[in-house]
Amino acid sequence: MHWLKAFLTSSVGRKFVVGLTGLFLCFFLVVHLAGNLLLYVGVDAYNEYAHKLHSNEELLIIAETLLFAALIGHILIAAGLTFTNWRNARNKSYRTFDSKREDRTTPMSFAPDQTMMLTGLFVLIFLICHLSDFKFGLGWENLGESYSPAQKALLVLENTWRQGIYLVGVLFLGYHVSHGLQSAFQSLGLNHPKYMPTIRRLSVLFGLVVAIGFGSFPIAGLVRSQTNPTSVEQVSPVEGGEAVDAETPHSPEH
Amino acid sequence: MISPGKKKLKLTIRVWRQKGSNERGQFRDYLLQGISPDMSFLEMLDILNEQLLDHGEEPVAFDHDCREGICGACGVMINGQAHGPDNETTTCQLHMRRFQDGDTIVIEPWRASAFPVLRDLIVDRSPLDRIMQAGGYVSVNTGQAPDGNCLPVPRHDQESAMDGAACIGCGACVAACKNASAMLFTSAKVSQLAQLPQGQPERAQRVLNMVAQMDAEGFGSCTNTYECEAACPAGVSISHIARLNREYVKASFCSTAEPTIPMK
Repeated sequence: MHWLKAFLTSSVGRKFVVGLTGLFLCFFLVVHLAGNLLLYVGVDAYNEYAHKLHSNEELLIIAETLLFAALIGHILIAAGLTFTNWRNARNKSYRTFDSKREDRTTPMSFAPDQTMMLTGLFVLIFLICHLSDFKFGLGWENLGESYSPAQKALLVLENTWRQGIYLVGVLFLGYHVSHGLQSAFQSLGLNHPKYMPTIRRLSVLFGLVVAIGFGSFPIAGLVRSQTNPTSVEQVSPVEGGEAVDAETPHSPEH
Repeated sequence: MISPGKKKLKLTIRVWRQKGSNERGQFRDYLLQGISPDMSFLEMLDILNEQLLDHGEEPVAFDHDCREGICGACGVMINGQAHGPDNETTTCQLHMRRFQDGDTIVIEPWRASAFPVLRDLIVDRSPLDRIMQAGGYVSVNTGQAPDGNCLPVPRHDQESAMDGAACIGCGACVAACKNASAMLFTSAKVSQLAQLPQGQPERAQRVLNMVAQMDAEGFGSCTNTYECEAACPAGVSISHIARLNREYVKASFCSTAEPTIPMK
């Protein structure tokens, strides 16, 4: 296994793992967004999706293990590489630095490719909050088992703090993946003039889709909380954990 | 191009002065007058040095050799850009007509931990030589030049290999990279030889060794910001980096080759 150790300790090998896990996480984002968008189709559709997802326990455990492994691997290796770069690369910085890339549209210090560590850090903070809300239900214990997944989601998204954290978090996520997706292809060695321009454009588009798609939920939550809030009382819990949405005031167009 | 009517330039040259590797360096400002816009950047530095000698000062040390853009010896950061503002141009091929009268030009050496400053603008680029020694060659004695088309090489491979071979080893990629990564340099040679029949026997060993040596020299890792490609005076594309990545994965997972211990 000497070769594997050599691979995983080399800069190229570590970047390969970051790219591979990143691409897997991007794939997850697509699935996650598709699932979330069902909330706009209707509360029933969302609930049905959530129940189906949780009905196959084994599959869920495998998927979640893979997902957490990819996420932790992605973070640890990327952070390790970045810290090594910061420490070793340059013991004296330039007095001035000016990019020669003609396709740079954002100022150098704000460009997605220059701020991956920072945007990644913000995404991580958002993820911790998001997982504590939806995966572990911390702070939402009062909702118990009696509320449907859709009702829980709507309630969380109507919390002002959550709206702020979620919106900022997904904006950073979109910014992160707008460089990340095409960067993953490059790190995996998948770069050819015949498709790389498309991948680069697709990467920016993906960033926009992620930011707008996921960002729409906290915004819809804000609009709802201002106009027609879902209060805990209004959502009538039904025996046995199954809830009906007949009385819920939120309509699918939000 | 001779333009006698052009106005001579008056410039402030802010240049990095450092006596030796272990000395502390600093920026010094020098005023230069009567600089012809037709001068090359290095000729301007020559004039500066003549002026310094006249005043009994040490001239500014800088690397240069062919002064026709093919050797890769020259190379400094000019106003924060490797080899100055022009694309695919070495410092020696940069001309003073690119600057305005009254400009202040900041000149710095390549900065990278792997490239210690030896004196003023000269850095030690021998880490690049050691990466080359780790595998950037073909061991087989090829004898005399073979007949044309004796070894069939598809035209696209030939062109692409030539694009990689265009690297002049100046180190601008390292200088422009925020991580001081030497990936573009290393990949140019790996990519060149991977696409030619002569490079096949050592293909896997080469990429493993060159990457191991690159890492051991203390260069940063690539974060795909593509500043190297923009700074490269030879126009080496980052698609060579992708090929290196590919070659590395293939060598790691599909061959018995293992990196031998890097030299230092």
